[in-house]
Amino acid sequence: MRSFKKGLFTGFLFLLILVLVACGNEEATPETTVDVDADPVKETEEVVEAKELTIGFSGPLSGPAATYGGETIKGLTMAVEDINEEGFEVDGQPYTLKLASLDDKYLPNETAANAKRLVQEEKTKFIYSPHSGGIYAMQVFNEMEDFIIMGYTSEPGVTEQGNSLMVRIPPRYDQYLEPFTKYEMERFGKKIAFLPTASQYGKDWAAALKPVWEANGGEVVFDESVDFSKDTDFQTIVANALQENPDVLFIGGPSEPTALIAKQARDLGFEGGFLIMDQAKLDEMAAVLGGNYDMLEGSISTIPLVNSEYPGTAEFIEKYKANNDRDPGSESAFHYVSLYVLTGAMKAAGTVDDTKAIMAKMDEAAKNLPENKQAYSIPGVEEDGGFGSLLRIAYIEDGELKIMGTD
Amino acid sequence: MDLFLQQFFNGLTLGSVYTLVAIGLTLVFGILHIPNFAHGALYLIGGYVTLMVMKGTGAHYFVAIFASIIVVALLGILMERLVFNPLRNSPPIHDKIAAIGLVLFFEALVQLVWGTEYLRMFSPFDNNISVAGVLMTSQRILVIVVAFVVVVLLTLFLKKTMMGASIIAMAQNREGAFLVGINANAVAMMTFAISGALAAIAASLAAPINLVFPSMGHLVILKAFVVVIIGGMGSIPGAIVAGLILGMTESMGATYISNDYKDMIAFLLLVVIMTIRPKGLFAKGVH
Repeated sequence: MRSFKKGLFTGFLFLLILVLVACGNEEATPETTVDVDADPVKETEEVVEAKELTIGFSGPLSGPAATYGGETIKGLTMAVEDINEEGFEVDGQPYTLKLASLDDKYLPNETAANAKRLVQEEKTKFIYSPHSGGIYAMQVFNEMEDFIIMGYTSEPGVTEQGNSLMVRIPPRYDQYLEPFTKYEMERFGKKIAFLPTASQYGKDWAAALKPVWEANGGEVVFDESVDFSKDTDFQTIVANALQENPDVLFIGGPSEPTALIAKQARDLGFEGGFLIMDQAKLDEMAAVLGGNYDMLEGSISTIPLVNSEYPGTAEFIEKYKANNDRDPGSESAFHYVSLYVLTGAMKAAGTVDDTKAIMAKMDEAAKNLPENKQAYSIPGVEEDGGFGSLLRIAYIEDGELKIMGTD
Repeated sequence: MDLFLQQFFNGLTLGSVYTLVAIGLTLVFGILHIPNFAHGALYLIGGYVTLMVMKGTGAHYFVAIFASIIVVALLGILMERLVFNPLRNSPPIHDKIAAIGLVLFFEALVQLVWGTEYLRMFSPFDNNISVAGVLMTSQRILVIVVAFVVVVLLTLFLKKTMMGASIIAMAQNREGAFLVGINANAVAMMTFAISGALAAIAASLAAPINLVFPSMGHLVILKAFVVVIIGGMGSIPGAIVAGLILGMTESMGATYISNDYKDMIAFLLLVVIMTIRPKGLFAKGVH
C-alpha cells in the first residue's frame, strides 16, 4: 500500500512537471493567427480561400536572454497581426501569416534542431533567429533545405560567407568602430580597457575594435571579458581594469548588467568614457541607473529607438506601448520592419516558395516600404543579403543624449 | 597594496553572500540528507518579494527585507509540509526529483508573474565611501555586517536554545532525536523556515549590487553547493569558512592569476580539498 502511494505521488509529481513544461511551452509559443476574411470585392465574384503561410522563429525564450528573445517575438507578432489585418496577397492568392516559434535557449545546436523541425513540420521557407551562433549553425544546411535565414545580428561575418539565402537585418557593427574610437579618443584619451560580455559576439566585437583603436594611436591596457551567465558581482574585474588607469572602458552585453558595470566603475572612481557595444541600449541602461544619463556621461553607442526619428517610428512606438508598459527597443522595431520587407519581396516576386526569386526582390521591397511602416528606414538590401547601413550613433554629453551628425 | 585591499574587500562581500546561502543549504541537508536543489528558488523568491514590496508599497528597504524573510520562511515551511515531509520515507532520489521540480516550478512562476526582465533594486545605501584607499558603497559594508550579525545570532540560537539544540540533534542522529522526545515535525519546519529566511536575507542584500532576474538563483546556488561541499556537508563552521575561501579565491584569482580562469581556480581548489579531505573541511561524518 505504502509503495503504491509512493508511486502515485511520484506519478503525480511527474504529471505536474509535464503540465508545467507544457504550459511553459504554450506561453513561449505565441502562434498568432488572425483570420482575414477574403476581400469583399472578390466575394461577389469568387471566394478565394486564404492559404496559411508560416514564418519560423528560433530564439531564446527562456533563460537569461529570454527578454531579448521575447522582444524580437513581439516585433514579429505585431507585424504578423498588422499584415493579416491589412490583407496579404501574392499573385492573386490571399495568405494568412502564421508565426511558429521555438525556444533554442540561445544555444546554436538547438537553433539547428529547431530549424530542421520548422522546415519538416511547418514547411516554412523563412526562419528568423536573433543570435549569430544560431545563424551560423543554420547556414550549414539552409541552402540545401531551401529556406531563407532572417538573421538579427550585427555580426558582419554572417553575410561574408556567400550564403545566398541569408538576410542580415541590423546594420553591421564594424561601421561603428571608427567613429566610436575617434570620439572617445578625442574626448578622453588613448588608453582603453576591454570589459565586454564573454559571448562569441562580444569577443568578435573586441577583436574587431582592437586593431582600429591601435591604428588610431591608442593602447589597449586591459583585455578581458565578463561572463554575465556566471558572475554574480563585477566589482573584482572592474577594479582590476581600473588599476591600469584607462581613459575609456569598452563595455557591452545585455543592457541592464552592462549598465551595472558602468555604475560599479563610477563607484570605483572612474571618470572616463564608455564605448558601448551595439547590443546594449543607452535608454535601457539609463532605466536601471535611476532613469537619467548622469552615470553614463561620455558614453557612445547606437541611438535608442525612442530617440530615432524615422517616418514610422512614432506610430510603431505608440502601437507597441498600447500592449506593453515599456518603451520598445530596436530589436522589436527591426523585426517588425523586416517582416514587411520580406512580405514585400514575396509580393514583388509573385511567389511564396521560390526562395531565390524572393531574395532577388528584397532590395526592391526595402526601398518601397510604405512610409508609415518605416520604424527604421532601410536604404536597401545589399548583394550579400545585409540590410543597407544606416549610421545611428548617439553620445552622452552634459547628461543629455545627443545624436551624432545633427549638431 | 591598494588593489590587494580592494580585492580583499570584494572577496569578503562575495564570500558573505555565499556563506549566507550555503548555511541555509547545509542546515536543510541535516534534515533531508540530500542537498536541497530548491534552495535557489527560495533565494530567487526572496529577491523578488523584497523588490516588489519596495516598489508596490514604497516601504523602506529594511521593512521589505523583513516582509521577504517572513514570506520565504513560510514558503520553506510549505515546501517541507507539502513536498519533503510526505517523501521522508522514500528513497533519496525522490527528494532530489521533487527539489528539481520545485526549482522549475518557481522559476516559471516568477517569469509568469513578474516577467523575464532584469530589474534593479535601489537600496538607500548606495553612497560611495572610501576607507584606507578602498572605494566601496555602504551597501557592500551592509552585506558584510549583516552576514556577520546573522551568523553570530544563528550560532547563538543553535548553541544556546533548546530549539536550536534539537535542530543539531536531528542532524546528528534522527532516531536518537526521536528517542529523547524531540518533535521531528516541528524541528523540520523550523529548519526550513530558517533556511528560507537566510536565503531571503542573502538575496535582498545582494540584489542592489547585482540585478533581480528569473535565473538569479542558479548563479548563487551553484557557488553555494561548492561551498557546502568544501566545508563539509551539514557543517555550519564549514560553510562559513568555505564561503569566505571561495569569495577570496574568486577575487584574488581574478586579480593575480587570470579573470578567465577564476572559476577554474575555484574548482581546482574544490578538487584539491576533496582529495585531501574527501568529506570536506569540517565534516562530521554525516552520510
